[in-house]
Amino acid sequence: MSAEKHDMPRGNVGIHDFAVISNEVVAPGINRLEISSHVSWGLQPGQFMNFEVPGDKTHILRIPLSFSSSDLVNSHVVIYYAVVGEGTERLSKMQPGDVSTVVGPCGNGWRLPEKGCKRALLVAGGIGFPPVAAAAGMLARAHIGFDVAIGVRNITGLVQSQIEELRKFERIDTDIVVATDDGSIGIHGFASHAAEQLLEKHTYDCVYACGPQVMLASIARLSEDHGLPCQVSMESMMGCGFGACGACNIPLKAGGYASCCMDGPVFDAEEVAW
Amino acid sequence: MVSTVNMAVDLGGIKMRNPINTASGTFGFGWQLEGFYDVSMLGAITTKGTSAVPWDGNPAPRMCEVTSGIMNTIGLANPGVAGIVEKYGAYLEDLEARGCRVIMQAAGHSIEEYVRAVELLEELAPFASGIELNISCPNIARGGKLVGGTPEDAAEVVRAVRPLVKRPLLVKMAPVRVPEIAKACEDAGADALSLINTINAMSIDIHTRRSRLSKPTGGMSGPAIHPIAVRMVWEAAQAVDIPINGIGGIATGADAAEMILAGATSVTIGTQNLPDPLAGPRILDELEQWAVEQGVSDINELVGAFEC
Repeated sequence: MSAEKHDMPRGNVGIHDFAVISNEVVAPGINRLEISSHVSWGLQPGQFMNFEVPGDKTHILRIPLSFSSSDLVNSHVVIYYAVVGEGTERLSKMQPGDVSTVVGPCGNGWRLPEKGCKRALLVAGGIGFPPVAAAAGMLARAHIGFDVAIGVRNITGLVQSQIEELRKFERIDTDIVVATDDGSIGIHGFASHAAEQLLEKHTYDCVYACGPQVMLASIARLSEDHGLPCQVSMESMMGCGFGACGACNIPLKAGGYASCCMDGPVFDAEEVAW
Repeated sequence: MVSTVNMAVDLGGIKMRNPINTASGTFGFGWQLEGFYDVSMLGAITTKGTSAVPWDGNPAPRMCEVTSGIMNTIGLANPGVAGIVEKYGAYLEDLEARGCRVIMQAAGHSIEEYVRAVELLEELAPFASGIELNISCPNIARGGKLVGGTPEDAAEVVRAVRPLVKRPLLVKMAPVRVPEIAKACEDAGADALSLINTINAMSIDIHTRRSRLSKPTGGMSGPAIHPIAVRMVWEAAQAVDIPINGIGGIATGADAAEMILAGATSVTIGTQNLPDPLAGPRILDELEQWAVEQGVSDINELVGAFEC
């Protein structure tokens, strides 16, 4: 991995202070967190940050979270997270004005598509959508068209939040298809069904996806069937987030493992052993 | 802080500018931390365990959180001695030149594998000040029991590599039968002892009834094990004359000070590096302040200064 050569720039990972601007429930179990932090200065779409959440010294690890957008002018970063465990529960209690630290920017983010790419398919499953929104921003800035397939469990504020985040970057020709597990809004099915619908309607040059492992596996297969290069943003239980401990690992098709935090979290889908 | 206290220590021939070392597997190869601070300010770093050939390590999940600590089953994933030297050799050599001692850790699953790893380290990594032998690995040829789980087994592997190592040799012990194994390692030719390694532990997800790691058990580390580590360092210090590199749940300068009082010459920061990448310089500073408060002119005066 060339990025690991010692003479390569180490990037700008560091410890940064952050202050909570807002931390609101947008759907049952889903919060939107906006922070003010200089971590925003180096943050690239698809990278992540590792949050120190005060309040319980018996839990020592940080909480890795990706972001959906960052604003260089105000040094604001927008994060959506699911309240799934003790750590995110604690995070959900942080109030505007509360301060702590964040390690970042961590990992390698999305790569721009090859030259000549006209249109990209974005696929977001559940709480996997923040990096996808960040990819939308990256593509919009590069003047590349995109459509978005969204999969969620049911109709909640999560869908609305996703559409709101995407609206920041949406182009006049952007097509958004929503699928829900229970059919309460959009098509009855998964993100992969929404993606299939879009693939029938439009021609794409590449795919960007983030969501649960099973969804990513099906999107990887779908992309391969259509001969499209596909980048996926992966998750793994993390210790440090900067390559010191070797805890997070992604199995590779070629054998062995890659480090999720250092080689990823964005991988080429064809490299991953699904 | 302008220091009036000599912080330099000698760990079995490894001349460190201060007692702060980093634990294998919590600090990558040093380079990963350079984004946070100038790593050369530390006394030493210990690299991730290196084997003669690349090891893939264990499947996910390799880590879980427990009360005041973590458990891991990384499985010593590493690209092998040659792979490491190719990737990080130039950096580690430069780190030595900048005054921070590099300790390469050797790992194996059998005596033969340890011998091969050490031979390769001697050949390919001459820049490093010391070699640490991790004898807490499972011995595949002996049904997975610890390579250094008994005084006899520990002595056997240390004796096998001792003649091959031309620099200070540290032995990283498992937290079992400490006084006897410490003595056996000393007698077999170790220049210093590193202890403790992680404590074998278990954590079960009661909903799925499965281990929270990809293996039934894993190694526990972090603040929860610190008092156990202090006790074991104290026991080892009474059993041997060679210096001790104290490891186990050090999160503050006070934790490091306790280790030194119990008999450690150097103190190694492990798990704390993960959430707190600036732990090294912070603990160094806190330790120095403590030495000043104790009114000594040399940190070595406090080694083993515990009064019972």
